Amino acid sequence: MRKELTTSSFTVVMALVADTFQEARARWLFWGLFTLSTLLILIFLFALQVDLTAGAISLLGVQSTVRHIYSLQKFVNVSYSWVSIVLYVWGTFLAIFASAGLMPSVLEAGRISLLLSKPVGRTTLLLGRYFGNFLVVALNHIYLVGGVWLILGYKTKIWDYRFLLAIPVSIFIFAVLLCVVVFMGVISESAALSVMVPVALGLISALLAQYQVVIKLLDSEWSRQLWMLFYWIVPKVYDLGSALRQVILLDKQTDLATPVWTSSLFGLVVLISAIYIFRKRDF
Amino acid sequence: MSTDYAIETDGLKKLYRARFRGREVMAVSNLSLRVPAGVKYGLLGPNGAGKTTFVKMLLSAVRPSAGSAWLYGQDARLPESRRPVGYLPENHRFPTYLTGHGMLNFYGALSGLPSRERRRRIPKLLDLVGLSSWGPVRIKKYSKGMLQRLGLAQAMMHDPRLLILDEPTDGVDPAGRREIRDILNRLTDNGVTIFINSHLLSEVESFCEYVAIMRKGELALEGKMSQLLAKTGYSVTSANLPDAVLRDIRGIGGAIASTLHGIAIQTDTRDHANLVIDKIRAAGGLIESLTPSGSTLEDLFLRATASEDDLPERPV
Repeated sequence: MRKELTTSSFTVVMALVADTFQEARARWLFWGLFTLSTLLILIFLFALQVDLTAGAISLLGVQSTVRHIYSLQKFVNVSYSWVSIVLYVWGTFLAIFASAGLMPSVLEAGRISLLLSKPVGRTTLLLGRYFGNFLVVALNHIYLVGGVWLILGYKTKIWDYRFLLAIPVSIFIFAVLLCVVVFMGVISESAALSVMVPVALGLISALLAQYQVVIKLLDSEWSRQLWMLFYWIVPKVYDLGSALRQVILLDKQTDLATPVWTSSLFGLVVLISAIYIFRKRDF
Repeated sequence: MSTDYAIETDGLKKLYRARFRGREVMAVSNLSLRVPAGVKYGLLGPNGAGKTTFVKMLLSAVRPSAGSAWLYGQDARLPESRRPVGYLPENHRFPTYLTGHGMLNFYGALSGLPSRERRRRIPKLLDLVGLSSWGPVRIKKYSKGMLQRLGLAQAMMHDPRLLILDEPTDGVDPAGRREIRDILNRLTDNGVTIFINSHLLSEVESFCEYVAIMRKGELALEGKMSQLLAKTGYSVTSANLPDAVLRDIRGIGGAIASTLHGIAIQTDTRDHANLVIDKIRAAGGLIESLTPSGSTLEDLFLRATASEDDLPERPV
């Protein structure tokens, strides 16, 4: 007699996550990200090997012990803040490039029809793919930021834990932009569009974030409101990066909550739309 | 809906609409079909007849515009209804980064098979389809025939009650085809329903117990193979027949054709065949052969799809 099969959604999602990992590894995306991250870490390592810290302090002309400690702390803070921004931008955009093909590849005719023939809901299929992709990139972010933090900390003996905030912030903004990658993959099955749109959103967010300057230049109320509307809709890639830098550099409380919840809402709406379209589509 | 039927559809319809031009094409129209559980069923039709769309509607890869489908009595729209189904698509694209073993493991997991069961079944299935030494090899190294065998193993991975196979022997050599047929025969002995969508008429004729022929999205013909191909007459071959006798034979309704072996006379009934033989013998002619004759699946197929070229594409 056949046993009734009652595997949970969790097992199915795990199978899909493992499959995404295998695909990322086979397409050299996983190792590509890992290699580029290692390259960046090595650059930092090399830069610090040439005693950049001491050299910079020497250039500042600082002599006294008190001033020296103060300057070193400040220098490290400035370095950390800039490095965090570099990692934030580098990691996010690199991850989007790496993820772009993973959704269209699964929608290829002959592959999707077999997946859909399994007793798995379409929502589970899509979310399994999303989480697999997310985990590939999250692991890379942890490796990249953690590696740089260890090198900086070892060299300067200053272990600034705020720098590690770059990990959740980078992973969070990638998770939001990955929703756009998935959405574009579902509607267009195009890897190119899946890259272009989230990258464009990142650039547009930098532009929209200058609203304090721009709304003074706009002469009509409706255009000012339109600008602000777009500002609130588009994920706050720039604002989050800026907030991250301020937290690390100035150690001051910055409003991270607003960009986080508005971007989360954007990501959620886009992901739900992708799921809705995926459930309705014929393959 | 009854669980006596592996597949049951009622007025299934699929209307494709072009996104911008407003043109509509009816891929499947009002299709009602019942496939009894435990039989071997063949679905035939010319290219564009709607066979693949029909199969995809059964598996919820395509959403019907109207009508309903059930798999073992369960609404085919529910993922759970696909639990007893194994599927081998035509033009499949298995992930080439996986090994044969990994591919069976992945699709087995999606089918709901626990990992211990997967580990137990994978070597057996690879052995069954003649790929036991190919398990650890990446799929991209496989030939077309090997991919087909692996696809069959994938479809059988979770011990399904219904196998839906789209061109299952495509790319397989004749010996391999026989092996696949033997495997499928053993499955039906265990009560598995086999639903084959194929272009190979001889294969369907020799393997399937039931057949349906689609034309332009509609069911042109459906029934039990043995009934559809029932013997319909007799063929008498003779030699040295005078013209007068041939005229007599034509008079009783026999169709006459000249062949390499002599004159072939086709009759509708046994009585007519005996009458023809009497006339030939009376005229001093010799009977070379007497054989019962009937339709082949090819004859049926050609008749069922005869007006294919005459019909315009059916815009709605």
